[in-house]
Amino acid sequence: MAGKSGRTLAAVPERSLKKMLVSWEGMLFLLFIAVNIFCKCISPVYTFTNVLREMPKYLTEIFLLFPMAYILLMGEIDISVGSIVCLSATMSCIVSNAGMPFPIVLLAGLMTGTVCGMVNGLLTVKFRELPTMIITLGTQIIFRGIAEIVLGSGGTISLTNMDGFRKIAGKIGPFPYLFFLVILCAVIFTVIADKKVFGRRLYAIGSNERTAFYSGIKVNRMLFTSYTVLGLLAGLSAIFLTSATYGANTTTGKGFEMDAIAMAVFGGISTAGGKGKLLGGVISAFVIICLRVGLGQINMNPQVILIILGALLILAVLLPNITQHINQKRKKASKA
Amino acid sequence: MEKKSIWKKITGSREASLVIVLVLLCILVTIKNPAFLTVQNFMEILKNNAVIMIMALGMLCVLLTGGIDISITSTLALAGMTVGMLYKYNVIESTLLGFVIAIAIGTLCGLIIGLIIAKGKVIPIIATMGFMYIYRGLAYLVAQDQWAGADALGRFKDFALESYLGFGVLNNVIVITILCYIVFFILMKWTKFGRNIYAVGSNEEAAQISGINVSNVKIAVYTIMGALAGLCGALATSIYASAQPNMQTSKEMDVIAACVIGGVSMKGGRGSVICALLGALVLSVIGKALPLVGIDAIAQNTIKGVIIIVVIVLNVLTQRMMDKANLAKREI
Repeated sequence: MAGKSGRTLAAVPERSLKKMLVSWEGMLFLLFIAVNIFCKCISPVYTFTNVLREMPKYLTEIFLLFPMAYILLMGEIDISVGSIVCLSATMSCIVSNAGMPFPIVLLAGLMTGTVCGMVNGLLTVKFRELPTMIITLGTQIIFRGIAEIVLGSGGTISLTNMDGFRKIAGKIGPFPYLFFLVILCAVIFTVIADKKVFGRRLYAIGSNERTAFYSGIKVNRMLFTSYTVLGLLAGLSAIFLTSATYGANTTTGKGFEMDAIAMAVFGGISTAGGKGKLLGGVISAFVIICLRVGLGQINMNPQVILIILGALLILAVLLPNITQHINQKRKKASKA
Repeated sequence: MEKKSIWKKITGSREASLVIVLVLLCILVTIKNPAFLTVQNFMEILKNNAVIMIMALGMLCVLLTGGIDISITSTLALAGMTVGMLYKYNVIESTLLGFVIAIAIGTLCGLIIGLIIAKGKVIPIIATMGFMYIYRGLAYLVAQDQWAGADALGRFKDFALESYLGFGVLNNVIVITILCYIVFFILMKWTKFGRNIYAVGSNEEAAQISGINVSNVKIAVYTIMGALAGLCGALATSIYASAQPNMQTSKEMDVIAACVIGGVSMKGGRGSVICALLGALVLSVIGKALPLVGIDAIAQNTIKGVIIIVVIVLNVLTQRMMDKANLAKREI
């Protein structure tokens, strides 16, 4: 079994305040508060409304986090989502510019994403011997390549009719609609992962795919569904991204896959599968967003922010390993 | 053991089938456009893809141990950018010193990654993803919103134009590429270290128990990868006569693709230097051939992606057929 950190299928959740704080999610929550205090100290304009105003451009990436977490939990990976976002954004822009009503534009974006996700899922299921990393590497190039062909030599497209997109970029009070949608998705995906059969099967597959298969779990169907859902949410992400940028180009969504994976891993979800909680991923996503907004406000060099995020990512995996190592040594010493 | 017939050997080995694919590809392109099959053209292909071809060697070692390294182009940018800046501000003049510095930086970068992965037990893709951000960020910091152009690089850029290493026949860059391949061929095939890499990739626990220091092998593998990336940083600066912090962004995927097309397994333990060479060659020839046969520039990425998928799927299908044939044989 993969479970040493107590975050696997077999672990029965214990509910004491101390346990909750010591768990990775609890630490992340403390970190979230710490980051907010830190940003408040360094930046005078770090207020609630300001953060919410700057949030949408980062929020679109969180959509990808949830299904990506599912795929990581099964021990697989998808590095083509950035390209799916690009292709979906391109398609919805084109349909919108053709004068179609907004629901059809929405449908076009979502359908494009879903079809791309299905292609990934189908290739994964049919050729299980292949690592998903290399399959999605291929489709990553293909999807963006198709977007490049569709966009033509100019490589960009701007919306001519922005009514619909303006509407979905609206707000209730200080909160953008997008915020509520992200929270809704977070709740749905977390509940499914933690409480429903589908979610528990994800952990089973991630811990040991063969055992899961022989105990009657339809591994292929789970994989296909997850990849398709990732495609669908990539389409959703693309539509909100378009509503913020009023267009698409060949570099739209570049690096989204890495950001989504980084959020998940920082949240304690192992890329080896079977370990981690979605709640951690959601908190870590907001930690990263707040840090980006705060550091951006004091005009810190974006490259320095990149370095900080990279270091955080490695530390997030390194620290638990080191503490575990020390604990094991201590146990051995006490036994002797 | 019965001796296999030559025909069986050819159809049975992946290297041979890749050679056939490569030759067919060349013939098809030549029929369409005779300008393809010239020595000069091939030299150009080799020179322009030297960076991918050399890094494929390091990636081969990393993949053989079951790891992956997606930070290589960031290391490349950091090394190349540092060297470029040193030439720009006339800190150094000699070409050799530039290469030494670039390789040293790359080695250090790789060593850090290796330590984090081997000693800190961080999963390779996560560790290298973090360092992809860190090294790329450092490259931007080194650049300080500047870049080193052809005039700033001075004599250094001439290295890629001249051929004193190849006795006036072969371009310097190609000579270095060939040297790298010879060294790695020997290293992987006939040295203890090379065999240890295979052992670690095939079965880590068994390797550990049989007395191989697994963590040292892993550190060495990532250090070698870093050193090669550093070397490529200097080469890329020289070949393209410019050093920019965003150089070769996302080319690491091409390197991985080259290895996988060549038949290197991403689960570790399977693959050879020849595999890496053939994979890199197929990718390079495709890149050069597509414009020559009149395919639009904007469609090239799509075709490249499709070819990657088709090749790896074909690999799987032939493997399945071979397994089936072997099973059938056993039953008789």
